Amino acid sequence: MNASAIVAGIDCGSAACKGVLMQDGAIVAKAVKPTGWNPRETAEELLREMLLQCGPAAGPEGIPGGITVIATGYGRVAIPFAARAVTEITCHSRGAEYLLPGVRTVIDIGGQDSKAISLHNGKVLAFQMNDKCAAGTGRFLEMSAARMGVTLRELDGLLESGESCRLSSMCAVFADSEIVSLLAAGKSRQEVAGGVIDAVASRAAALAARVEVGLPLLLTGGLADLEGLRKALAVQLGCQVKTSPLSRFAGAIGAALS
Amino acid sequence: MLEMKKELPEIFESFAEARQKGFLAMKEIKDEGKGVVGQFCTYTPLEIFMAAGLVSVGLCSTSDETIPEAEKVLPGNLCPLIKSSYGFAITDKCPYMYFSDLVVGETTCDGKVKMYELLGQIKNLHILELPRKQNTEEAFALWRAEIVRLKERVEKDFGVTITDDMLKEAIRKRNVERRLLKEIYELSAMTPPPVSGLRQLQILFGSQFKFDWNEKVAELQQAIDSIKAAYAAGERPVPEKAPRILITGCPMGGVTEKVVKVIEEAGAVVVVYENCTGAKQMDRQCQEEGDPITNIARYYLQIGCAVMTPDTNRLELLDRLCQQFKVDGVVEMTLQSCHPYSIETYTIKTHLQKKGIPYLHLETDYSTADIGQLATRAGAFLEML
Repeated sequence: MNASAIVAGIDCGSAACKGVLMQDGAIVAKAVKPTGWNPRETAEELLREMLLQCGPAAGPEGIPGGITVIATGYGRVAIPFAARAVTEITCHSRGAEYLLPGVRTVIDIGGQDSKAISLHNGKVLAFQMNDKCAAGTGRFLEMSAARMGVTLRELDGLLESGESCRLSSMCAVFADSEIVSLLAAGKSRQEVAGGVIDAVASRAAALAARVEVGLPLLLTGGLADLEGLRKALAVQLGCQVKTSPLSRFAGAIGAALS
Repeated sequence: MLEMKKELPEIFESFAEARQKGFLAMKEIKDEGKGVVGQFCTYTPLEIFMAAGLVSVGLCSTSDETIPEAEKVLPGNLCPLIKSSYGFAITDKCPYMYFSDLVVGETTCDGKVKMYELLGQIKNLHILELPRKQNTEEAFALWRAEIVRLKERVEKDFGVTITDDMLKEAIRKRNVERRLLKEIYELSAMTPPPVSGLRQLQILFGSQFKFDWNEKVAELQQAIDSIKAAYAAGERPVPEKAPRILITGCPMGGVTEKVVKVIEEAGAVVVVYENCTGAKQMDRQCQEEGDPITNIARYYLQIGCAVMTPDTNRLELLDRLCQQFKVDGVVEMTLQSCHPYSIETYTIKTHLQKKGIPYLHLETDYSTADIGQLATRAGAFLEML
């Protein structure tokens, strides 16, 4: 393995730390870890794990010289061995262009924020972020799933019935108690799960409307593989919503390409 | 005639040194027998106070220190400038508010207007009715009459007579200030600019707290000379390639300097401020010949602001500054719950879009909790340029 040609992109988000190693424009390793309380250590472990995937070149003593690390996400400034830090807006755009060439809109639903980006040839034209409130974020979805006693994966399964009831509160804290009330009032978990997903999708759609939606549109971030969310977004936006098996790594890929 | 306040507030001893200094400086002015007028807005015709030999001072607060006190009375979802200013008034924590013998407010935004009603219960208050149109005869007539009424109120409260000659002299002096401040910010039209945007803001913001006119003018001239001299000597505090940013939107200063900091820490430079703290109030000169009240009324009514409809003068100034300062992007800062400016962001955005000038809107308040989020937005914006 020629370590000198390898670039590492690390997307250190609020919930998960995602990483890819890229060589000549191809992904040669990837890994995800919960960010935990120490983003620096998590990023270091992530990098080591990815290097091991490539072979024995990486010793446990640290990062081999010649590998350039580019960091993004909220923890980007906490990674001392990164050559530079680039914002997640730019990285998600570049990563999305890699995953879906020609992409014009990116919606990223992350752990503590959600964002909509309008782009052309991987270059950002406009963006909107919701990052001061948990409404419509991955955290909101996680908390709602926990309230219903299911995992995110199981929640996605509940959505297959297509049933839904309306949540009147957008606030994550109030929605939490509303879920309890709805379940107590005899609503099925399928209906409540549908309501939760619709709430997330409508927030994301509102953000997207402010940047002007162009097609194709790619959903990125850790929730992109929830089929129910993708469908709900498509309904709210009235257009096709695409995902990629690597959607979760869009930020990390974009970082490696920066 | 009113009785002027000369004693320090009861809680003076509890203040930190910097604030005690502020109070003592104001007390000195009061001990010299000078009256103080506090005001909130760029539309306030300061010439009236200057002509009457009074000291005028801006009361727009820039810290969240007193917001919890204010929220005992005012709603939470109100602009932080309004809450904080009211909070300083009821807690005696601001030397300028505390020592103001007369407070002048305008009918600008709804939040301020209703807050002034409450402020009037604890301070000697005068409200100027500012029209919302700038180009009708009726609006001008109303505004001129309001300025006459303000003059009469000042004469009555402070026991003075303000003559036309005094007003003309005040117009002349204010024009000198405007010209010097404009000269300072126009230095940043050079590439690279001779000062950072933060330094420029601190000079512009700080100048409103210099109360001796001769000293103020001399200091401004000195600042211009020293900046020019350093530049001529080859000092380049800003890199040549730094993207050039214009800031527009709500008034800035104090805590909101954070917006300038995140922009400049991300590698750009703020070259000009199209807001109340910057170009808006120094761009034009007030006419000196002819009836001074008419000249004052005409000058102030033409200031661009989101409280006006339509706000064409703001767009005109914005366009001119974008060209003159060769800006690469415009960042608009609005304070949370500032409806006039928040709504007008759409007008500004689409206007700039047509001209191909990149635009970023940042909404913030007087806390420091959102610096990470602001940095991400500003960083992404600069990466876009």
